[in-house]
Amino acid sequence: MSMIEFRAVCKDYQGRRVIDTLSLTIEAKERVVLFGPSGCGKSTTLQLIAGFVTPDAGDILIDDEFVATAGKNLREPGRRGVGMVFQDLALWPHMTVAENIEFGLRAKKIAESERKRRVREMVDLVGLGDYLNAKPGELSGGQQQRVALVRTLAVAPRIVLMDEPLSTLDEALNVQLRQEILQLHGDLGFTLVYVTHSRDEATALGARILYFRHGQIDSTAS
Amino acid sequence: MAKRLTLAAAALTFAAIGLAPVLTMVARTFYVDGEFSLTAYQALLAAGQQLTLLMGHSVVLSASVTMLAIVVGAPLGVLLGRTDLPWRGVFTMLLTLPLLVPPYVMAVAWFAVLGRLSTPATAQFLSSTFFGLYGCIGALFTAFMPVVMLLTIAYAGTVNPRLEQAGLLMARWPTVLRRVTLPLIAPAILFAAVLVFLLTLGEVGVPTFLRYPVYPVEILTQFAAFYDFSAATAAAIPMLLVTLLILALEIRMLHGPGLELSAATLVASNAPIRLGRWRLPLLGLVVAWTLVTVAAPLAALVIQSSSLSVVADALARASDSILRSVIFAMTGATLLTALGFFCGYLVHHRALPFWRSVDALALFLFTLPGAVIGIGLISLWNRPATNAIYATPAIIILGYLAQYAVLPMRMTAAILQQSPPSLERAAQLCGASWFMTLRYVVAPLAKRGLIAAWIIAYVFCLRDLGITMVVYPPGADTLPVRILTLMANGAPSLIAALCVILIVATLAPLGAAALWQRRAGLS
Repeated sequence: MSMIEFRAVCKDYQGRRVIDTLSLTIEAKERVVLFGPSGCGKSTTLQLIAGFVTPDAGDILIDDEFVATAGKNLREPGRRGVGMVFQDLALWPHMTVAENIEFGLRAKKIAESERKRRVREMVDLVGLGDYLNAKPGELSGGQQQRVALVRTLAVAPRIVLMDEPLSTLDEALNVQLRQEILQLHGDLGFTLVYVTHSRDEATALGARILYFRHGQIDSTAS
Repeated sequence: MAKRLTLAAAALTFAAIGLAPVLTMVARTFYVDGEFSLTAYQALLAAGQQLTLLMGHSVVLSASVTMLAIVVGAPLGVLLGRTDLPWRGVFTMLLTLPLLVPPYVMAVAWFAVLGRLSTPATAQFLSSTFFGLYGCIGALFTAFMPVVMLLTIAYAGTVNPRLEQAGLLMARWPTVLRRVTLPLIAPAILFAAVLVFLLTLGEVGVPTFLRYPVYPVEILTQFAAFYDFSAATAAAIPMLLVTLLILALEIRMLHGPGLELSAATLVASNAPIRLGRWRLPLLGLVVAWTLVTVAAPLAALVIQSSSLSVVADALARASDSILRSVIFAMTGATLLTALGFFCGYLVHHRALPFWRSVDALALFLFTLPGAVIGIGLISLWNRPATNAIYATPAIIILGYLAQYAVLPMRMTAAILQQSPPSLERAAQLCGASWFMTLRYVVAPLAKRGLIAAWIIAYVFCLRDLGITMVVYPPGADTLPVRILTLMANGAPSLIAALCVILIVATLAPLGAAALWQRRAGLS
């Protein structure tokens, strides 16, 4: 059973074809990296999976269920079982670390005691137990990455999308966080779709690497 | 779905509040006693020569004020927005002050200055020059010049620094400003010019005080003095057409691939231009300009009213109007901030296909003379079934909502522009509803901007004269209306004291906000 499926999906921006008749299948718990130069359609593919962008043609299925079809989103982003770590991390600057992580649990109407337990579990997972009341602006770049990661994981999404989240970090931290992502993937068993233009990141994180070019998959490597 | 429904409801509410009165007014000009008739237009044509003369006066006045505002406001905006001139923030605030009070306050203040220099020469000047076109130009120029200055500051700070740096490799700053920066922000200056022109065109307070016959005063006269509603409505139509024509030209010129006018803020991001040896002379020039155009007139106003008996008399005569003004302005500002937030959100996110119409309607209503909107409101609401609106202050509040919605709307759009879209998207992916995202993410992030929007809305509601003068129900006049009424036979010191009270009421929330910001910064 495939977790994500694209069937001949097309997307145009201002008359330019960004995704061109893209068909792909990603299995449950798979680690897939979308790799390629800027403007090749990798990030748009993530946006299509998340539901922020509607395809102009073709169908998108998640868990064998149609979530989008030509010109129409059939399921809202919050109801697709998808989490995302954004390139700019998108941590809410006015909330503490705990509030950032708790937000999704609150949205899912989880009881307060369970929320607190889950927040504690998440921060312990990435060693940020002492920073529960810190605001994102008070954290280092690596700590912010970890908060963004566990904020996404706190609501237990089946699919985690990552849009070049490590691109601004130095080499040592980048390598360390790759290990942590692999560890979390192994422990929690989500489907990972990771976008990067770094060959090192792609080879380190991808069980399967899809090379994108002009909105299509040019080649595949395992 | 909740998002689209809420935004559509906000847009429709705004259209109903703002557009319905204008459309009703236009429709009513074609009906007399329930039957189609062109009598109103025949009467308008019969008075054509006089109305053309009045419209000519209005256009001459507006064009003069606009030209002066650009000649002075654009360089001042560059100086205060882009250079290393000392105390730029203080000068910006002081020079903005005249925009925050009704324009006629500046005319009264100038009158106080000239009155203090009571020599035969000034008496001659007062009678021959100040009361008339030149006095109107002076007062309205001081009042509206800040529009050009503020927009220049806002947009000069958004010019891509690389473009200026490329120019600086080949030429010095004055040339780069003239050849690169100013042409890039020319659409913003043009927009400011259109605003100044239309605001001057609809102004009634200053021409009334300085006895210069202009077109909008004629509409008011038909309505208030002759009780001829039909003639007033017909007379409002040419103003409506002129406003539409000028805005259409402006939109046509600005909606190219130029700059996005809602994106600028007053926080400049570009490196300041070093003035070098020109710093002190230019500082002296700005100090002198501020003293002459703002400090001296306002100081004369304060001096003229600085007697306890005068202040007591002013309070005795107008305390009810003062209270009403503040209550109406606070109510109007609160509703405007709420309506402006949703409409601004709609415009920023382009969430519905008609977002551009909402933005254009708001701008149109802002530039439409207040008296015209007032007449439209009466056309719509003066019916037995809607007496609860027509005969109560609700009609004033509706007028505020119609005319000033563009201010919180554009401010909300500018605030939202500063937050990356990923912040909302992250909340969406967490499964948060749109209202939850608004409550926990969007509103807290926009809090400071929304407070600023409330204050600006409050200031404009408080200074309103055009709408209130036409629609206020018996016993519900506001302070600006009371002052204008008292101008006919009140003592100058009393008028001055009331103007000072109005300025204090205007500046009070600004002072409170500054204190709050300072405390928030310290904590």
